[in-house]
Amino acid sequence: MSTSAVSAKEAAPKHGSGTHAHGHGHDHDVQGDPHEHWPPDAQFGTASLGKIGMWFFLCSDALSFGGLLLAYGILRGQSTEWHHPGEPELGINFTAGLTFLLICSSVTMVLAHAAAVENKRKEMLTFLGLTILGGALFLCGQYKEYFGIGGPGLIEEGLVFGHSAYASTFYLITSFHGCHVLTGVIYLTVIFIRALLGQFEGGKHNHIEIAGLFWHFVDLVWIIVFTFVYLVPTTPS
Amino acid sequence: MSKSHVNRKEYWAIFAVLFLLTVLEVGVVYLGIAKTPLFVALTGLALVKATCVGLFFMHLKHETPILRRSIAIPMSIPAFYALILIAEGAWRRLPW
Repeated sequence: MSTSAVSAKEAAPKHGSGTHAHGHGHDHDVQGDPHEHWPPDAQFGTASLGKIGMWFFLCSDALSFGGLLLAYGILRGQSTEWHHPGEPELGINFTAGLTFLLICSSVTMVLAHAAAVENKRKEMLTFLGLTILGGALFLCGQYKEYFGIGGPGLIEEGLVFGHSAYASTFYLITSFHGCHVLTGVIYLTVIFIRALLGQFEGGKHNHIEIAGLFWHFVDLVWIIVFTFVYLVPTTPS
Repeated sequence: MSKSHVNRKEYWAIFAVLFLLTVLEVGVVYLGIAKTPLFVALTGLALVKATCVGLFFMHLKHETPILRRSIAIPMSIPAFYALILIAEGAWRRLPW
């Protein structure tokens, strides 16, 4: 391990700086993203630049969600009447199902990453595909919740954006999260196509791990949103 | 090659924990307990679930302490604001 690590370090500037990113047979793949093969850093260990970048983006994204949820908390805390007559309750059981769906897709995402690490192409593609499917189903579920499929949606039942703080905060927070799910589905589809083209062969898992970070973050935020938007308001005040 | 940690058993264990906590969360709502303990229970359950996802699925468990802290500290700021908000709301509602 130590000798091959040294040779990879030496080879990285030679092969990583050029544009010829493909097709030279080395035991330890040094082609492609040279950042994947930097020597361990004193502060960040073996975390790649891309991973650190994604983490800091996720921090700023978390603050956006934090701002929205705090605004919701302030409005709700101040209101004397949160549920106006004629406005529907949010369906907890259906969204609990959506929560479960996102948790499932998080598991398939880590399994896709595990398969990429172990260079199991078929397994990686299967699990990436399942993750995308989970995200797409979540979006369908959210469409059903808003607009209704085979039954009235929340809008038809009288929860209209702009009519009350309850409606506006609900749609703002859940649709902002929905945009993240949509982004994640598109992002993962791009990753899936790149995997299909063989860009993550030989245990190159860095990009899959970074995409996974985004996807798990979407799941993490939904856990918070589900709790504070759906579960907490059902308590009798 | 960066060190990678793959532990499928752990992933499935976390999946089971997340599933059970979600069932518990929904169950607790139907129990009909008082508002404050319910709020505390729901918040606690959500934070445990979010921490599980961060530590195990997002591999924070395996990152360096500096990277972990660089993430945990900004992420805790909204939680801190929320605490102030709740404290302020409670203070205003006291029967002065």
